[in-house]
Amino acid sequence: MEPIVMVFAWTIVVIVLAFIACLFEDLESDEGSQSNPNSQVQLAPEMGYIHRYYNKAISGEGLSYALACTIAGTVAWMMLSQGITPVIAIPFGAGIGSLVHMIRATIPHLGREAAHKRFEQPIYMDVFYGHLVPIATHNFMAVVCITAIAYIQSPMGPLAAITGLQVAANNPFPLPLLCFIWGITVGAIGSSTGDIHYGTERLFQDRPFGEGRRVIYHGQICRYGDCGIRTSKDIVAFCAKYGGPATGLTFGLIVLFENWRTLIGMMAGGLTGGSWSPELASGVGIAIGLVIGVILIISNLYLVRWARKKFGPFVGE
Amino acid sequence: MDPIILVLILVSAVIGGMMASLGVHLLPVGGAPAAMATATGVATGCVMLMTGSALTGLFTASAVASFWEFEHANIGLVALSGGVGAMLMIGWTMLVANLLYVFGAGIVPVSGRVAVDPITKESQTEYKTPRTDGHGMPNVSYISGIAGGFVGGFGGALIYVTLENYAHFSPATAGIVAIGIFIANAILAAYNIGGTIEGFHDPKFKERIAVGLFAAFTVSLLCGILVVVATLVFPYLGLGGAL
Amino acid sequence: MGEEEKAEEKPKEKFTLHFPTENNLSIMGIVVGALVAILPWLPAIVKGVGAIVVILWGADCVRKTARYGLGTGVPSIGVLAMGYGLVGGITGIVIGSVPVLYGVGIVEPAVLIGVAAVGAVGYISGILANSEKFIGMKIPGLERGMAELGMAGALAVIIESSMIAGTWNASVVIPNIIENGVIATIFILSGFGMLQPFNSCLGADERRGRTLLVSVEIGGLCCIIFGVVASLMPAPSGILQGIQLIILGVIVWILFYSSYVRACLREAHAVVGTGLIKTMR
Repeated sequence: MEPIVMVFAWTIVVIVLAFIACLFEDLESDEGSQSNPNSQVQLAPEMGYIHRYYNKAISGEGLSYALACTIAGTVAWMMLSQGITPVIAIPFGAGIGSLVHMIRATIPHLGREAAHKRFEQPIYMDVFYGHLVPIATHNFMAVVCITAIAYIQSPMGPLAAITGLQVAANNPFPLPLLCFIWGITVGAIGSSTGDIHYGTERLFQDRPFGEGRRVIYHGQICRYGDCGIRTSKDIVAFCAKYGGPATGLTFGLIVLFENWRTLIGMMAGGLTGGSWSPELASGVGIAIGLVIGVILIISNLYLVRWARKKFGPFVGE
Repeated sequence: MDPIILVLILVSAVIGGMMASLGVHLLPVGGAPAAMATATGVATGCVMLMTGSALTGLFTASAVASFWEFEHANIGLVALSGGVGAMLMIGWTMLVANLLYVFGAGIVPVSGRVAVDPITKESQTEYKTPRTDGHGMPNVSYISGIAGGFVGGFGGALIYVTLENYAHFSPATAGIVAIGIFIANAILAAYNIGGTIEGFHDPKFKERIAVGLFAAFTVSLLCGILVVVATLVFPYLGLGGAL
Repeated sequence: MGEEEKAEEKPKEKFTLHFPTENNLSIMGIVVGALVAILPWLPAIVKGVGAIVVILWGADCVRKTARYGLGTGVPSIGVLAMGYGLVGGITGIVIGSVPVLYGVGIVEPAVLIGVAAVGAVGYISGILANSEKFIGMKIPGLERGMAELGMAGALAVIIESSMIAGTWNASVVIPNIIENGVIATIFILSGFGMLQPFNSCLGADERRGRTLLVSVEIGGLCCIIFGVVASLMPAPSGILQGIQLIILGVIVWILFYSSYVRACLREAHAVVGTGLIKTMR
């Protein structure tokens, strides 16, 4: 096989993994109300709204995913350096990473609900036990994908093994550092996009649709489910319909266009043969990126204009 | 070591740190209220958003810096690659966030701090839900965010490429030191804006940018001096090779 | 075997004694951290205890600065500590490894130059953040808090590097810790030890003793993970040092995790197996 075809093939694998990783990242954060909407779950008992949500305030999503992914990457790197095959090393590392994540997730639920003593918020043990395995499994899916991405791109991965190109196609960073980078990025994206569907829509589902949640609503979250009292597990099924896939799409598109523009630039710079020109390679990549940036601005322009025309000015009191 | 290179390291640490701070000031960050559509901006803390985007940029920049195998990399081109990478990350994130606001919650993206969008001249007030501070990313915030991502990613990649290519740090060392300096500056800038800002049109921006840049200048100068000292004493360790 | 018994004694002592006050904990953190940092020949188990104390100190600093509200979430200040800690720690390791300053192989104090420098940087950034003329956060003791956080971060980087590699000498640390990316694990795990306790226990009825238990628990987790990494390292570290760390880590983790869970369940309003929610109106 031509080496450049292999480079593109592995890049497509990375992109598909990125889609899956960020989808599960967002669903996992909804599973226990992590990150920004957690401020409402935290505020609810103070407003008299005793609830059965899981309070998973480990830290921001970026940092908690950096922790799980970096531990997974370190364990996988140790196993790989002992000569163990990546097919075993990556899932094992991710398993350790999500085990640590699950342990970290037990701390805030107990700690924050205990700190709500004066608002008479009890600790429901079925909520506590019932969410741990879903948290660990969703987290495992995200972490195993991120670790696999980092492995493919790292100097010990398959991209580095492709010979016959003018420059190496892999990233120079080692595996744990790449896991750290992608962990922070996947968490940042998951908290900035997927949280909107959870925080704006699902947490305030009993409020009027189509308006921003007013400050006076804060803390007055929707506590009842389709049948009975809502727990955080009910959130996932709802957010899996729009918030999660949209978040996965974001990270996938970012990884897709980042890799694509770099690779096209490298090909323009003479990756497959002829004389190698690093200036041309990076320049073409930058130019493509700037064009994509302009297209993004124009699409947002159209999106906002469409919404303004379709929805019209605010009605209601 | 060549004194010119030491000055270059110091200057790039200072410029990179100040650009990180400027990038945070330009990003539309709504923090926790934005996740409930109560404030304009991206629904996460500025530190995580800026770090996430700058690390995406750093990923591309490190790959681009490895294009130059036997010579010094072109600082401008590598830093630009990092800037464009961070810009794309922010751009996609804000676009999909807007899609979620529009189609997931039926909300028109609107600014809460200005009555008229300074770029598209669209009026904002009548589209805003009363008793909120705006919601979504209106066009002016979007463009400001694109610029902020670009500036922040440029700064992070600038620190990285100088350390990696001119101070001869190994890629991992250069990356981790660049992350350290970048994060310190981004957090001080986040404290300066108090958690939320809408972009360059926000009155807060004009009010606070000078202080933020001064704080970033001081802190990154001090961090830069530490890095320069480390670079300076390194050849005396008798290890050979790169830091 | 004597060392392992010592590790068992240490946590038990803290159990009965309660945590020292904020000032005493700062003094304890800086003294223990500095002593462990300048004596790189110590066995890994003592370094592990040093790392736990330093992380505990950092968590207490996060608690005393972040409880006034930072405007952008508790975790940011813990990440700030580790951001400074990386710059200061790597600088300290490089300066401390210069042969002229390397001491006689028993006491090697030059590494503390990096710690002190980053403490100064932290103090200056604290002034910038707190002063009315600049950012104006108006948090009492922020200057001192940021200086202590910077120093705790740098000490954590130095001690944990020397835990894993057996020494913090740059000739060992740079290829074995930094270039293969283990430094990212050090960054995020010690950062978590500092930022997670207060973030996770935040609330109206937060109690310092309960919050700090989490920090020691994460210290134990650090020891387990770094023990596994250390057992794969070439000399002067190796399997013996790694096993010491793992034993210390497992003991500390089990003791403190279970005592944290018990403290939470004891101090909560009520612990029920299941139940409906209280309706208001």
